Amino acid sequence: MAATDPLPLYRPLESAVRFDTVTVEQGGISILDRVSATVPKGSCTAIIGPNGAGKTTLLLALLGEINYQGRIVLGAGDQPPRIGYLPQRLAFDRGMPLTVDEFLVMGFQKKPLWFGLNAALRRKARESLALVKADHLADRAIGALSGGELQRVLLALALGQEPELLVLDEPSAGVDFQGELIFCEQLDELRRQRGFTQLMVSHDLAVVTHHATHVICLNRKVAAEGEPRQTLTAENLTAIFGMHMGLVNSRSMPGDQAVCSAPCCQERPDA
Amino acid sequence: MPDLSLFYGLLAQLLPFDCLQARFMQQALAGLFLLAPMTASMGILVVNFRMSFFADAISHSAFAGVALGLLLTLDPGWTMPLFGVLVGLGIMLMQRRSSLSSDTVIGVFFSAMVAFGLAIVSRDRSLARDLQRFLYGDILTISDGQIIALMGLFVILMAFLACCYNRLLYIGLNPTLARAHRVRVAALQYLFAGLLALIVMFAVQAVGVLLVTALLIVPAAAARNLARSAGAMFWWTMVISISSAMVGLLLSAQDWARTATGATIILVACAWFALSMAAAIRRRQRLI
Repeated sequence: MAATDPLPLYRPLESAVRFDTVTVEQGGISILDRVSATVPKGSCTAIIGPNGAGKTTLLLALLGEINYQGRIVLGAGDQPPRIGYLPQRLAFDRGMPLTVDEFLVMGFQKKPLWFGLNAALRRKARESLALVKADHLADRAIGALSGGELQRVLLALALGQEPELLVLDEPSAGVDFQGELIFCEQLDELRRQRGFTQLMVSHDLAVVTHHATHVICLNRKVAAEGEPRQTLTAENLTAIFGMHMGLVNSRSMPGDQAVCSAPCCQERPDA
Repeated sequence: MPDLSLFYGLLAQLLPFDCLQARFMQQALAGLFLLAPMTASMGILVVNFRMSFFADAISHSAFAGVALGLLLTLDPGWTMPLFGVLVGLGIMLMQRRSSLSSDTVIGVFFSAMVAFGLAIVSRDRSLARDLQRFLYGDILTISDGQIIALMGLFVILMAFLACCYNRLLYIGLNPTLARAHRVRVAALQYLFAGLLALIVMFAVQAVGVLLVTALLIVPAAAARNLARSAGAMFWWTMVISISSAMVGLLLSAQDWARTATGATIILVACAWFALSMAAAIRRRQRLI
């Protein structure tokens, strides 16, 4: 692909996802208007914007759940990347008898669950659970999990896909504050270890400024895109959120904490 | 046609009851032995997909299917299942394509099927007797041909479940999540709808239009109360469904009962459900 680049001097970052004038209309109402943006490969890209800005819609278009006009280019080769997806809030039947173990294995095991779980797949499921520090939940019924526990199990499921692209919709929704911080740190560490691309939707600016390496500001259109420090300026934030968000110190920690143990912070000299 | 006497003889030996010495009882037993595991396993998925209204609509298209066969002078034994499958796939297509809610879509199909069946029957009085047979069903008149067809369907269904059961459960849990994680949601949903329609059509002949949904739903619903894992739920459903079918058939044949077989089977299954509710309530109280 690079060989046919018409401008050899300008080499854009290799992209994991490229949105090309993506437009979504539902019932005559425009939800996304010619959205063009890039998710650089290996980055932690955050989509931010106010409620109703079309953030989740953009993710659903990416996953092929809704119809859209325009193009979404996934990866560079012919093979679409393996996706791991963490929904904002999993709508499911809580009365359904299903253990966490079964839930994590069922997407991989052909043999019906009633003949028992494959030992190797079960071990893999336990490893994924250990990654998100949720090993103790393995035997629980998924209907009986709390919001935060369920998010962890879902993250374990997404990581179990061995994703090249991890798509997270409000990853910290339903997680209490302390849990949220750990959640983001764990994700950062894993991304560095495994080298996947992380694309997340968030409305929590503190989380974004802290963890994202690339930001897409969305309010039906792309208002701004780029590195967090250059993008999350007072003018841009006021423009998309419609109020004086610039007062938020873009380098503040969530909840005014003083120390962050995430590896990203150790690497940034000014953090 | 292969001789099924050996199969019947084996069943009669397994369950040495006086009433099972008659051939029609042995045939009914064989039919139920094949049908119960099929409705049980599909019932679990129907409950998880929240598709009981779908099954109801298919069963009500049975009569329209028979009427269509008579109208076109084709064998109703073929037009009925074929018509059911078409209706099932049609509903699935509409559900996936239109923005109407699924119960509205099914409701429209449902009324169309019933109205169509009634319109044809009202032209010809002699058909009205058939209508009753489909409303209540009659497992005791099952033929060798139907049993062989059931055997074929049994093999197909078990093969389908052996390869796709887990993925169907995944879709039932949350289709968006399943699709993002590379499950072929649409293809599996159509396959499931088609097979479910076929099984419903066979079950209509056994327990009748009015009680088909019960045969699918009640064992799975009772098993949900008893099981904590998906694996356990499957086996509980099997036990409840097969035992209800056997006990129902034997009870209905007793001199003091002489009730309709289909209805008796469902009553036994409902007794199972009542027990499972009691067990679930007790377990909850112990937890508190």
